[in-house]
Amino acid sequence: SVLDKLTESELFTVAVEGAIGGNAYQHSRVNQWTNNVVEQCLSQLSKLGKPFKYIVTCIIMQKNGAGLQTACSCFWDNTTDGSCTVRWENKSMYCIVSVFGLAI
Amino acid sequence: MEVAANTHSIRPSQQHRFRPAVVSGCIRELVREQLSGETYDSERSADLAQTLSAHITARLKELGLDRYKLIVQVVIGEQRGEGVQMASRCFWDADTDSCAKDVYMNDSLFCVAAVFGVYYY
Repeated sequence: SVLDKLTESELFTVAVEGAIGGNAYQHSRVNQWTNNVVEQCLSQLSKLGKPFKYIVTCIIMQKNGAGLQTACSCFWDNTTDGSCTVRWENKSMYCIVSVFGLAI
Repeated sequence: MEVAANTHSIRPSQQHRFRPAVVSGCIRELVREQLSGETYDSERSADLAQTLSAHITARLKELGLDRYKLIVQVVIGEQRGEGVQMASRCFWDADTDSCAKDVYMNDSLFCVAAVFGVYYY
């Protein structure tokens, strides 16, 4: 599906790297970072010009030994819709980006 | 000569619309039912998140959102004083599509459940 191909092309990893790469976790900036990450991902997706609706979510978590679990359940058309999750980390934080694409 | 009326709607009617308030009330109940009294455990929480998202999807199907594709995302994290930020943005039809969310916290864990409803034309 469309989104599987995108994982291979590392579109989202590049977007995350561009938005927050090289930064240490800062509470005052994390709001802006999450917004930047989702905006970058969404703008790359809309440039593809496919007949899809997209949902992008981003979680940024400070590294302090705590655990985090995410799960998704989707009610859609398996043949046309898909999702992709990218995990990124640096020394001070984790970033999890989930992208869902639904065909019109 | 037969006259036929078009019945395929490309806009949801009021009863079949995704109403965030109704949906978030529904997720709130379910999350509190499943998670009150729970403590964060790395093995169990993975299963807990999965079953919770499956239950939420099943419950939402009963709400009569026939023409909607649903995405339910559940995040369960341990409360250890770390900072967490979650954001989402969508590229959709704002007329028909919407999202609902609920946050639950107790002493040992926090849980965010987000539901996105996308209308299928």
